[in-house]
Amino acid sequence: MTATKVVPMPAGATPPASARATPEKPRRRTGIGERMMPYLLLLPALVAVLVLLGWPTIQMLGISLRKLDLHELVTGKAVWIGFDNYTEELTDPEFWSVAVRTVVFTALLVAATLLVALVIAVLMRHLNPVVRIILQISLVLAWAVPVIATTTVFQWIFDQQYGILNKTLDRLGFHSFIGYSWFSTGASTLAVIGLLVLWQAVPFVAFTLYAGLLGVPREQYEAAGIDGAGPWQTFRAVSWPAIRPILTMVTFLSVLWDFNMFGQVWAIRQGGPDGASTTLAILQYLKGIAGSHFGSAAAIATIMLVLLLLVTGRYVQLLVRSKDGELA
Amino acid sequence: MKRWLKLAAGAAALTLATAGCAGSGGGDTATGSGGSDGGTLTVWLMDGSAPDSLTGALNKEFEAAHAGVKVNYQIQPWNGIQQKLTTALASDTPPDVIEVGNTQTPAFASDEVLTDLSADVNSFNGSQWLTGLKASGEFEGKTYGVPFYAANREVLYRKDMFEQAGITAPPTSDAEWLDDIAKLKAKFGSDKDFQALYLPGQYWYTLLSFIWDNGGDVAKAEGKGFKSTLDSAGSKAGLEFYKQLVDASGTTAPKDNDEATPQQAGIYGGGKVAMFIGTPGEVATAAKTDPSIADKTGAFPIPSKTAGQTAPVFLGGSNLVIPLNSKHADLAKEYLKLLTSTKYMSQMAAAGYVPGTSTDTSALDKDPLGGVMAKASKNGRAVPTSPKWGEVESGQNPLKDMLTAYLTGKKSIDQATADANAALDKIIGG
Repeated sequence: MTATKVVPMPAGATPPASARATPEKPRRRTGIGERMMPYLLLLPALVAVLVLLGWPTIQMLGISLRKLDLHELVTGKAVWIGFDNYTEELTDPEFWSVAVRTVVFTALLVAATLLVALVIAVLMRHLNPVVRIILQISLVLAWAVPVIATTTVFQWIFDQQYGILNKTLDRLGFHSFIGYSWFSTGASTLAVIGLLVLWQAVPFVAFTLYAGLLGVPREQYEAAGIDGAGPWQTFRAVSWPAIRPILTMVTFLSVLWDFNMFGQVWAIRQGGPDGASTTLAILQYLKGIAGSHFGSAAAIATIMLVLLLLVTGRYVQLLVRSKDGELA
Repeated sequence: MKRWLKLAAGAAALTLATAGCAGSGGGDTATGSGGSDGGTLTVWLMDGSAPDSLTGALNKEFEAAHAGVKVNYQIQPWNGIQQKLTTALASDTPPDVIEVGNTQTPAFASDEVLTDLSADVNSFNGSQWLTGLKASGEFEGKTYGVPFYAANREVLYRKDMFEQAGITAPPTSDAEWLDDIAKLKAKFGSDKDFQALYLPGQYWYTLLSFIWDNGGDVAKAEGKGFKSTLDSAGSKAGLEFYKQLVDASGTTAPKDNDEATPQQAGIYGGGKVAMFIGTPGEVATAAKTDPSIADKTGAFPIPSKTAGQTAPVFLGGSNLVIPLNSKHADLAKEYLKLLTSTKYMSQMAAAGYVPGTSTDTSALDKDPLGGVMAKASKNGRAVPTSPKWGEVESGQNPLKDMLTAYLTGKKSIDQATADANAALDKIIGG
């Protein structure tokens, strides 16, 4: 996390500019090796990245331009059909409703995750050590439980007949919740899934933000207190600048995770009822695995990649331009 | 200063080694397993199909008859099998004999990934094949799948509860069935947890019975493809009867889930349910909760709206296929010949299944629950033999969505059937 911290560094002091140094000078001749060295050392890592990430991406792009059903897969035939898979998806109204649903769901989920995590992170600073440690252990436990295990627990909590939630609500006097189905509409199903994801995503984000808050010297808070700043002002003037870069990073990560999330949605209702909680990841599974149309699934994957790049483009831009991970 | 050169050479060598590995990996494994595979016949059967006593004897007999051949017998779980089969069939060295669900077979047959068995039908006891399963193994006039076994649903009921409610004989028509439900409720209704009939909302296999009984169907063949007919009058009547049953029975089963979640046999085992629709095998599952329940359970065929008849039933089951890439197709055929013989088929019957390649169900008839099933299987039917049907079941099943939407009152019957029809057409139509 320290890598993303704002570390002011005099621009002029950027060290080895040697790579661009002029080769004319004779005393530099023996330095060719030294100049090549960093690149050679980078080579194995670069090859690994290309093999493990680049090649599958190229494969995916290739498959998205082919008709690849079970028959083609088994017989090894390559049937190139140009952009047919793309036009088929992009002209399908269902695809667009799923895409919009995915984007909105991701946006709400990321916003909720950040808000809850931020509140917890700030809270952790102010709690007394014993309570804080209890809170931290709870967070780690929620985080450590495998995704599908938590999903199963949530399924039982929200179960129509045997769920603890309906029974509790009934005891509290809300008798209309006997046999209430939480999965009868897409919105309510997605709300339950959202809650489930929130449960699993908050710990990491909260700890990351808390780490950022810890980096702020206590004197700054004391100074703010002496200047008569209230809690809100202190947060805005002292805490906020410190955690902003970290917040940008966790936003970026959360967007990636939530947008591509599959397991929880599928495990809860397979994208139901009536397809109303289907996200792009589910659609991709339905086309690819359930329907054996691997070409269409690859096309959806490519479109998802483009959508993600559009959404996170600003962050990537900052990442590429900034020095030392300086993000603002 | 040659140090950098050494390092560079090292890096280059490493790169080459990595690239070399990636490049030759596929070839190595192919030749490797091909060489060591000689004389081994790999057989995949599904979890819970042929009993161990049968496969043990079968594999022994086969190995004895074919010197030097070893049978590598593996049991596969149903969960995630579609994906596993896809990968297996696409590989260079697939298993040689595979059991495939009857609704999955047309997809594999149409994709031309199975060996054409048309010429061998007779050696597999072809004259006695179970009609309902036979069609699922055929595609465009050729035979790719050999019927293995089938099971169908019947109404399983508590004999003691029927007696106490004053019901002397099982119902023989839909009207009598509804009457009996009323009688059971009158007798046991004071118990809040009692359910005369446990019927979850998305039990689409049961819906099929009602649709067929009312003269409807899921889809009809049209040209080379299929056209869904869920919005026909018969299909609507079947759906309406389903709702009538759900409303009359006072079942508290979830309307938005199927018979597997929660497992209905477990609920029946709880002792507060008088009837459920299932296969005889499910009684054994219920007996895990309450061992005494097996003796209290009787069976009758799903009644028809026409008194004295029984409703058609969905024939679930499996076919046996040989993958196209199999390296031992001839041995595999020999294996199938043995498995489809009357000797082993009667063992399947004794295990509680309707045998696929033998009309001899005497072993099954001995069991009161199995006998009812065997009789109903004569009126067994299958889902459309569309190659795309597998997608209906492994994806989002329009029939399930239709049931939930109509039963919960979210859609009218016209709306629900029209939507399901369109959704189904999108998958299997054309």
